[in-house]
Amino acid sequence: MMAAGVQDRNRLATEYLKLLRSLATELEMATHAISHNALAELEESLADQQVLSAKLSVLAGELSGPGEANPTTSPIRVDDRDLRKQILIATDVLQKLNRGYAALLQHSSRSAALMASLLGSFKGQFQEASGPRSKYQTWSCQM
Amino acid sequence: MGGLNTSLSIGMQALDAAQGALDVTSHNIANANTPGYSEEVVQLSANSMTMSRGQVSGGGVTLDGLQGTQNQLINLQIQQQTSLQSSTNTQSASLQQMQTFFTTTGTDVASALTALSSSLVALSASPGSSVTQQSVLASGQNLAQAFNTTANGLTSAQSTADGLVTESVAQINTLTQQIGALNGQVARLTASGQSGGAVEDQLNQSVQQLSQLTGISITQSSDGETITTGSGTPLVMGDQSFSLQTTTGSDGFQQVLDFNGKDITNSIQGGQLGGAIQVRDTTVPGLLSQLNTLASQFANSFNAVQAGGIDSNGNPGQNVFTIPINLADAASGISVAITNPALIAVSSVGSPNSNGNVASLSAVLTTALPSGQTAAMAYASLVFDVGSQAANASTQSTAIGENLLQLTNQLGATSGVNINDETANLIRFQTAYEAGARIVSTIQQLYADTMNMMT
Repeated sequence: MMAAGVQDRNRLATEYLKLLRSLATELEMATHAISHNALAELEESLADQQVLSAKLSVLAGELSGPGEANPTTSPIRVDDRDLRKQILIATDVLQKLNRGYAALLQHSSRSAALMASLLGSFKGQFQEASGPRSKYQTWSCQM
Repeated sequence: MGGLNTSLSIGMQALDAAQGALDVTSHNIANANTPGYSEEVVQLSANSMTMSRGQVSGGGVTLDGLQGTQNQLINLQIQQQTSLQSSTNTQSASLQQMQTFFTTTGTDVASALTALSSSLVALSASPGSSVTQQSVLASGQNLAQAFNTTANGLTSAQSTADGLVTESVAQINTLTQQIGALNGQVARLTASGQSGGAVEDQLNQSVQQLSQLTGISITQSSDGETITTGSGTPLVMGDQSFSLQTTTGSDGFQQVLDFNGKDITNSIQGGQLGGAIQVRDTTVPGLLSQLNTLASQFANSFNAVQAGGIDSNGNPGQNVFTIPINLADAASGISVAITNPALIAVSSVGSPNSNGNVASLSAVLTTALPSGQTAAMAYASLVFDVGSQAANASTQSTAIGENLLQLTNQLGATSGVNINDETANLIRFQTAYEAGARIVSTIQQLYADTMNMMT
């Protein structure tokens, strides 16, 4: 029974590691999308991030759940030392990447707020483009 | 998955790019209604990415600079049409001014011819009456004055056009100096890797103002724009400008000289200057020529008939009209030579109360002149000519105006700032950022969970 439990935990931990890495990749993709004004890619990445985050939350609960059920038992561990080390490294990378991504989002949100304020205060008559829609793509929201 | 440093580097580059883009967009929106402003766009380039041991490194984005979105082809068309419209407007304004001298006011040439005809009919009925004789003399004086007034009006329009030539050349010289200086600024900014957008907009505005003054041809070179008149006379080359000059010609009008002193008056077309030269040297002289011919031929015909008759004193008829020797001065200088009404040659035989010559004098008004038309018809043709030219100029100006509006709209579609697009994108990005911020919080919580799990 014990061996089977360890095996399950390792399988879950491997899955957890895989999801951590996927989430890190998604953060990079989102950063790249913002910097390239690629709104569709950003929205797609955000959807993937939400799915990955939800799966990670569930897995984290599954990995730590039995420990809560039995307080006398030591906290659930990932028994494979190498796997455990990889999870810690991946978590650390994800955490730092998340900080950079958070900074970018914060900056972008602030810029968007500034832009909203600017648009709101613009009282002049707007110039409407007419004729064929050959207008260049603009960068107002490249923030 | 790239290394952490790579990820942070990409993030920082993205921040720089975002900041630059924000600055540009603020500038775009602030200038959304600025005439001649063209939207600037951020030029970004993706950094190369490399794959090593299954991991991607590099990537991200670099802010290269800014680029204006002026559409040179449309700008060129706008300049050409502006030049054409300005020329047409100048001609239209002059022709409308001239039309006033040809309208039926009671003192115009047509009215005076009609009045002379009526007075001759009355004279025919009472050839011995001093009153009817005086009436014919007065009608002749009114006709001469009508010719004088019309000719002077045309000459006045010609002088106005001549003044416009001098004024236009001065304005052209001011603008070419400005354009040369702006060319230099753009070249320096470009050389230092900076955006010349604002200066280029100013340059385009100045070039457009120049095209209102004269037809121009533009070529791009490494030094900036090279601008010449339509016939190739240089006006601006890079940061150097070449002033035009004016000098009084043998006809008393201002001639335009290039920077070498060569007379280029006849080669200038388009713009206010081209329009003024067209009015002064072609339109007005053409109309004056018709008027002079009419005045001269009518007066000579009338004098010839007068000479074949006998006046109330029994003498052969003297000239009723005096015409300057120079045909070009006929209409402006025509006058009535006699002051005594008894000198009208009413009789063909010299007997008292004879009216034989009055019919011949009346026939001058209804018989074709050497030009092939009666006096009234010749004058009607002249009036039609003025009206037709004025109407054509007005119609052409309207058509060019519509064309210009379409071109300006096209320029707006390619170079203008579309606030609606900017706003729609802004809202979508804001929503995405909010969603991203919630995921950031979730990942922070996951980090805490993982650390708890591992301890």
